[in-house]
Amino acid sequence: MLKGWRSTAIVTAITLVTFIVVPKLYDNQFLLFNMMMYMALAQGLNIIYGYTGYLPFGYVGFFGAGAYAGALVIIFLHWMPLIAVLVGGLTAVLFGMVLIPLFRLSGAYFSIASLAASEALYYVVANPHLEKITQGPYGISMPQAYDANAAYWTMLGILALSLVTSGIIRRSRFGLALSAIRENPLSASMSGVNVVQMRSLSWLLSAFIAGLAGATFGWYISVFYPETVFSLTIGVFTIVFILFGGIGTLIGPIIGTLILYGLYNYIGISTPQYFQIAYGLLIVLLVLFLPNGLVSLLKRRGVDVP
Amino acid sequence: MLRRSVMRSLLVAAALAASFAVWASPPSMIKIGTLYAGSGKFSQASTRQYDGLKYWAKEINAKGGVYVKAFDKKIPVKLVAYNDQSSTTLAASLYNRLITQDRVNLLVADYGSVLTSVAIPLARVHKVLLFDETGTSGKFFEPKDKNRYIVLTGLPTSSEWPKVLADFMQHVGIKKVAILYASNDWSGSQADTLNSTLKSLGVEVTFYESVPDSTSSYSTILRRIAATNPEAVAEFGYSTNDIAFLQNYASSGLHFKMMFVPNPALHFDVVRNAVGDAAIKNVYSYVAPPLIRYNKQVNFGPTLDRFEAAYTKAGGKNIDLSTVAGYNTGLIMGKALAEAPKFTQESLRDSIDTFSGKIFTLDGLFKVNAEGAQIGESLPVGQVLPTKKGLALLPVFPLKNAAAKYVYPQPANP
Repeated sequence: MLKGWRSTAIVTAITLVTFIVVPKLYDNQFLLFNMMMYMALAQGLNIIYGYTGYLPFGYVGFFGAGAYAGALVIIFLHWMPLIAVLVGGLTAVLFGMVLIPLFRLSGAYFSIASLAASEALYYVVANPHLEKITQGPYGISMPQAYDANAAYWTMLGILALSLVTSGIIRRSRFGLALSAIRENPLSASMSGVNVVQMRSLSWLLSAFIAGLAGATFGWYISVFYPETVFSLTIGVFTIVFILFGGIGTLIGPIIGTLILYGLYNYIGISTPQYFQIAYGLLIVLLVLFLPNGLVSLLKRRGVDVP
Repeated sequence: MLRRSVMRSLLVAAALAASFAVWASPPSMIKIGTLYAGSGKFSQASTRQYDGLKYWAKEINAKGGVYVKAFDKKIPVKLVAYNDQSSTTLAASLYNRLITQDRVNLLVADYGSVLTSVAIPLARVHKVLLFDETGTSGKFFEPKDKNRYIVLTGLPTSSEWPKVLADFMQHVGIKKVAILYASNDWSGSQADTLNSTLKSLGVEVTFYESVPDSTSSYSTILRRIAATNPEAVAEFGYSTNDIAFLQNYASSGLHFKMMFVPNPALHFDVVRNAVGDAAIKNVYSYVAPPLIRYNKQVNFGPTLDRFEAAYTKAGGKNIDLSTVAGYNTGLIMGKALAEAPKFTQESLRDSIDTFSGKIFTLDGLFKVNAEGAQIGESLPVGQVLPTKKGLALLPVFPLKNAAAKYVYPQPANP
């Protein structure tokens, strides 16, 4: 048991130290910021998808909600960006609470319904009639709040929070309950697991992390449009990263993001003409030969993967 | 104590000397960083814009490089360009790379407001002047931001675009107008300006609604517009919106005295090929270079005719507005380098103010305000009319720029 906690702590520490040290050696801060963001999002998605088996295609909705909520309190209430980030997280939780009835659905139906909810929120935010509140399709501009360094360290904090939360859940009774729900909700319920409560809690935790990440992203770029923060690409990337690394583990989403987002940037810069084909081939090979992600290679050899 | 202060003075002097050396010694080449969208929804316009910029770089290097006043010599230019795939997150990372790793001397934004937006805070915080080619959102140029690190080289801000259109509507005596727009910054700001300008002119706006960008069926909306009995209909959207709208209008059996859509001005062949000659004939749009040619007024760089001949001879495709915008950005950068007394970003920006309003390029009058927004150019109204070579979008208003007499009321197409 202690060994498990130790490996979780080591993975968390190495990840965080890496993002503290690398900026001193590598200048492209935004690439590192994005990598942290996707790692945090992947851990957030892991909490709901990896542990309970519910895959929300519209996960980016929480991200967008957080980005907008954070930006609006900065613009209208002139709150400190750090508080705005927290507001972003809480707004995503609020949105998550509204969507809890989606759990009446399961499988692909749940995934599609969450996607529809995310799109609906996008269209509400981008509605020109709400210009006075959300700025509508004209986007957010808050250059007065721009502070790339502060946003970077905030994202590091969010990554730490997501790693610690995911690590604790994995080794806790709560995590066991979620795994039981993933395997068979009916059996879990018969065994005394409060399925609705546990599932909702993981959903809201997952939303909270995405909301925090969204608000920090908005703060970092400070000029953005609804389509920037509700872009399906963000959600799709997060899902692909977590699948590539391995769901239900702490290290899987980290490895998945590191390799795929790194490749995304490397191929995108060096040989952009081959980008789509290289990325597509990689994913096809993964689905064919490693459907449980890269960590399954270690699991097959009996390694206890954190 | 004395020794410490002497040491400090020496260090400061050394630092100053070093910084002087940075701009005092000419670089072997001027590095110009830019992005283009090799795929995704902005790829068509973005790659053409990049082609225009590449052509300028090739042309200037063939002459020995760009003249840099700070060093009183010509220096070759090198384009450092990355593909952002129409993704804002990737674009932000790549802009950052251009500034912090490639350490480019000049930074040029990708096509349109969305891909330009993420460059603005980066350019500002790193104190790099951003040459904005076609990012026309008014938000980028708000006086309260006091941002000196951006210059819009080409088109005016999108909220300025429909002002001539409003004048035209008043000129032909239109009293009722319906405005439909896609919910994005570019379309919304045009619709907003037209709505407020028409109201101030005493014209009734009978319909003013938005639709999502992704709208591909306008049949029901057209019926709702017709129910308000407008004389003119203005639809603002991306080219996909315009195409669907014109197709639905053609098959609806409805007829309005004037139909306006913006994208024939930007991608005439694309819209025309998609909707067919019958559906686009007599439709109104803006007119921008190369559909309008300011050959006589040009006092800086080649005329559009000369540019087009040289560009196509060099193997380029047919030019469009994006190609002209890319090339024009090169001209403005070249002029800034030729005028700036120091090789610093601030000096480049200040030098732009010195020639703003004085040079007329193939893209029109280059004039920027204190915020860097383009205010020199205006977009005349054009109409798709038959010519000897087939249908063409010709300027019809203001009358001094007209190449043809407008047809109003617009006849019903068969």
